[in-house]
Amino acid sequence: MSTTPQQNADELAWPAPEKRRSIGKDTRRIDGPAKVTGMARYSHDVRLPGMVYARFVTCALPAAAIELDLTAALAVPGVVEVVRVVGDSTLYLGQPIAAVTAETPEAAAEGARAVAVTLTELPWAVTAEQSLAPDAPKVNPRGNIGRERTQEEGDIEAGFAASDAIVEATYTIPIQHHSCLETHGMVVDYRGGDSAVIHGSVQGTFALLDGPPDSLGLDASMVEGDVQHMGGGFGSKFGIGIEGKIACEIAKRLGRPVHLMMDRETEFHASGNRSGNSVTIKAGASKDGVIQALVADSNKLGGLSGGSYAGLPYVYSVANFSSTSRSVYTNTDGNRAFRAPGHPQASFGMESLIDELAYAIGKDLVEMRLANLPDDEQHSVWRRQLRRVADEIGWNEHPYKSAPGPHKVEGGREYVEGIGFGISVWGGGGYPSCEVEARVDREGSLIVSVGVQDLGTGSRTLVAMVAADEFGLEVHQVTARIGNTRFGNGVMSGGSVTTASLAPAVKDASNKMRAALIALVATNTGKDASALSFADGGVIVGDGLRVSWRDACALCPAGGLTTHGVFQKALQSSGVHGAQAARVRIDLVTGEVKVLKMVAIHDMGIALNPMAVRSQIQGAMVQAVSYALFEERLIDADLGIALNPNFESYRLANVHSIPEMTVIIDDEDGRGVIGIGEPPAIPGIGAIAGAIQNACGVRVRDMPLSPTKILIGLEELRRS
Amino acid sequence: MKDFEYIQPETVEAATAALATKENADWATAKARVFGGGQDLLGEMKTGLEEPSALVNVKWIQGLGGVTQADGGNLKFGATTKLRALEGLFSSGAFQVLSEAAKTIGSPQIRTQATLAGNLCQRPRCLYYRRPEAKCLKKGGDECFAYGGYNKFNAILGGGPSYIVHPSDMGPALMALDAQIEISDSKGTTEMALDDFFTLPSDGDVTRENVLRPDQVVISLRTGLDTPSEWRSTYLKFQERDGFDFALSAVALSLRVQNGAITDARIVLGGVAPRPWRCREAEQLLLGSMEAASLAKRGAAAADAALLGAEPLEHNAYKVPLTKGLLQRALRQLTA
Ligand SMILES: Cc1cc2nc3c(=O)[nH]c(=O)nc-3n(C[C@H](O)[C@H](O)[C@H](O)COP(=O)(O)OP(=O)(O)OC[C@H]3O[C@@H](n4cnc5c(N)ncnc54)[C@H](O)[C@@H]3O)c2cc1C
Repeated sequence: MSTTPQQNADELAWPAPEKRRSIGKDTRRIDGPAKVTGMARYSHDVRLPGMVYARFVTCALPAAAIELDLTAALAVPGVVEVVRVVGDSTLYLGQPIAAVTAETPEAAAEGARAVAVTLTELPWAVTAEQSLAPDAPKVNPRGNIGRERTQEEGDIEAGFAASDAIVEATYTIPIQHHSCLETHGMVVDYRGGDSAVIHGSVQGTFALLDGPPDSLGLDASMVEGDVQHMGGGFGSKFGIGIEGKIACEIAKRLGRPVHLMMDRETEFHASGNRSGNSVTIKAGASKDGVIQALVADSNKLGGLSGGSYAGLPYVYSVANFSSTSRSVYTNTDGNRAFRAPGHPQASFGMESLIDELAYAIGKDLVEMRLANLPDDEQHSVWRRQLRRVADEIGWNEHPYKSAPGPHKVEGGREYVEGIGFGISVWGGGGYPSCEVEARVDREGSLIVSVGVQDLGTGSRTLVAMVAADEFGLEVHQVTARIGNTRFGNGVMSGGSVTTASLAPAVKDASNKMRAALIALVATNTGKDASALSFADGGVIVGDGLRVSWRDACALCPAGGLTTHGVFQKALQSSGVHGAQAARVRIDLVTGEVKVLKMVAIHDMGIALNPMAVRSQIQGAMVQAVSYALFEERLIDADLGIALNPNFESYRLANVHSIPEMTVIIDDEDGRGVIGIGEPPAIPGIGAIAGAIQNACGVRVRDMPLSPTKILIGLEELRRS
Repeated sequence: MKDFEYIQPETVEAATAALATKENADWATAKARVFGGGQDLLGEMKTGLEEPSALVNVKWIQGLGGVTQADGGNLKFGATTKLRALEGLFSSGAFQVLSEAAKTIGSPQIRTQATLAGNLCQRPRCLYYRRPEAKCLKKGGDECFAYGGYNKFNAILGGGPSYIVHPSDMGPALMALDAQIEISDSKGTTEMALDDFFTLPSDGDVTRENVLRPDQVVISLRTGLDTPSEWRSTYLKFQERDGFDFALSAVALSLRVQNGAITDARIVLGGVAPRPWRCREAEQLLLGSMEAASLAKRGAAAADAALLGAEPLEHNAYKVPLTKGLLQRALRQLTA
């Protein structure tokens, strides 16, 4: 192998739109066929000779002293070992207390059931009210309330004095589960000796080197982490978790490969969640629609963790405001990052409030927002985007702009339609992290390797696309190797940073390879390298020359050519805006909400794979429908037991719930690449909530926006 | 899941013989279970709510599935008839309610396995009942946790001391057709009104939802309408999520129309009571002309009458307007 000079042929920049060959074009994921045929191997699917299966026994109460009798479990045929994985007592509902390892998954399940657990209930709190009660048990040794933050600006009293209408309301959001298709866990391939391979369902390949080597007692260089395909993380899979640690410990003790993937019930209560929130707002607006004052006070409900909240007035600019938030701890699993942490919660309250204020002063919902969005140059994009989604959703023709629609079943009318809006903000820039290797051999294969995982967003395809574009090759002519710690460093898929961190480094490696191949051809033909370039099909042309890809590659030394790419700041950017609109139909008889249509517009600089961008945005809209209308974790507040840790009664939207979706990619600003994973997950719930009120006058202030609540709201309106 | 014996009889006699053990005479001691499509039973076994030592699969019994003609234009449905087979059978007329109800159940995969008898005999979905760690009334405990707990899905009619709702969609539909249920044990066969088959927690064994004994097998369901050709019927179910969900409330409505007037009616509610809930007084209010304005008035009166005795719990008051609305909508649709 020879290493070629690592200089760039020219200034690195994304090609102009007309010069893009693979990038900028809708490209199906290269691993799509493998996924739909079941050929793609997820961590869950890994089967190894001599493998044992482990599973957790969890605590059925929020806090308890634990006594275990393992005799019966150890007597179950096939059970290999049972270990306690907790101290004297538990701190949260669903906390793993023992791990049962067996020759088969069935024996492990039977063994888990046979573990005799004696729980002595300790005082606990699972709701904010319980946690804040004067005689509440101490959930957190330093108190049940976490650090309080307040942000203040202007003169609130003067603001209220200048207001023509004042709205006071409390908006609450329940805890949401990530609901990853593949549960948390890993397969640890350790068979004694001094090396191991770990197949983990994590959203950062290199997280597999953070902890496991210690647990296995191995040198980090002898541990290989592998994440070929993973079934979703949404922010809940940054680390290896207790499941990863225990799996490694079992493997170390037994010297056998261990399969430890959480079962669904454990997953629900011990693998993180999106924190709930409750915010009480008092705000006033003048007749022109300008919000003159806003006071907000919010509790973040993140279980044992702090919860996240983006704060109010969120994207809007309010001259006089005060926004306070604090964490309220409960004996439930701590929250983790979840697609735009803290933002949907803030957006739901703020958009709801704006609607309510608009109706109070009789203002058009779009005009009301325009009156309060920041009016500087940088943020003018929001105005453009809001107008665009309003046009697209049919706002101009809509009859109920500044007052909600009817709530009575009358004259044969049983249904009514409404429209709502939401606005979002996010970062999404990249940073130095990915180390990409491009390699060409004499046979003409182009292999691009980087350790980064594909969270399901299409990163593998992106790697191939960016490289293919450089040479005019077809995407399928590039082999993208990812998801392994043997390759160069990757980046965690979180904060929407993956694409903006990865693509510039791939581009850099590819660009260097392009220069290297051209130099090779120039040397061999005596032509001037600066006259040569890649035409479509990987053909090198110029100066009367035409050399095919294969012929050019054949000039390589026996070891091929290798180049190395790193982050290039100029190729990426940051700052994603967005606006979404939802149109719903309310059944005035049943309270059913049918989301008929959603429209989304977001900017993300250059859309390298527009199909993947649309797919992210559509997925976020589906998630918003599910979050807004259905999802709610239920824990009985008296018994402290979980009521719906399964997909039957923790409802997710299904295929019938999915609306028509229009995605508008706003790529007119000419910026570099920016991530788009999280921002579209923000504005949908506020838009749906607004559309419900717009349709029938019922403002449901606590999610999920169930038909049962809408029905009660309709009854109240009819009585008043 | 505990190991169990799997018995595959080919005749009703062999099935009832396999069930005719002494311990099987009583639910308290019974360890054998009739196994239909398994769509409920297997779930109960997986969560440890049921731990049978024997399953008697009735699906191999010749002639136990399928639809045949019965007296006076009525129909007889074998116990193992699949819901999937029912859903496409009737698009109008007296039996339409059956296809409409079948269509709302679970998913195509579930309906392909699920049997009619299994649907009628399925156990409650109450969130507390389904959690093994909550030893509620239904499981021999001494408290109905839903009563003072999370009761959004629970009963507003006929509740107490247990507040489950009966989860079956086929139950109300069949009762709206005056169905009879045929039951066998090792001593012979009996038939009774489906109305008498279901029980309330207050009038029977609070741990059961019907009079079936563990050594008995449901053989068939037979509709019992007078002149079915004069009847029409419909099923309206409202579920929180469109598809793959149980009823928050459901209405099975059938009407006999003679010379342009309603001369007989059945209203049976699902999802609101511990058993399919027949509304006899409300039915009487529907009788009369088909003139729209009069019908709307009578429909509203019938809806009020049907829910007269409703006693909502903390989180399920919505079921009152919901059920009233569904009943009136069903009436509008059936008389349009
Ligand atoms: C996700 C999901 C969604 C569902 N949605 C709905 C719904 O919307 N509406 C609805 O009504 N149901 C629903 N069901 C419940 C139910 O599983 C099915 O409706 C089905 O009809 C049950 O029939 P089966 O033949 O599978 O019964 P099994 O599971 O085999 O049996 C159920 C019970 O009936 C008894 N049994 C079965 N056959 C006989 C017989 N011939 N004689 C005596 N006893 C018998 C069994 O012993 C058992 O106790 C759903 C189930 C699931 C898992």
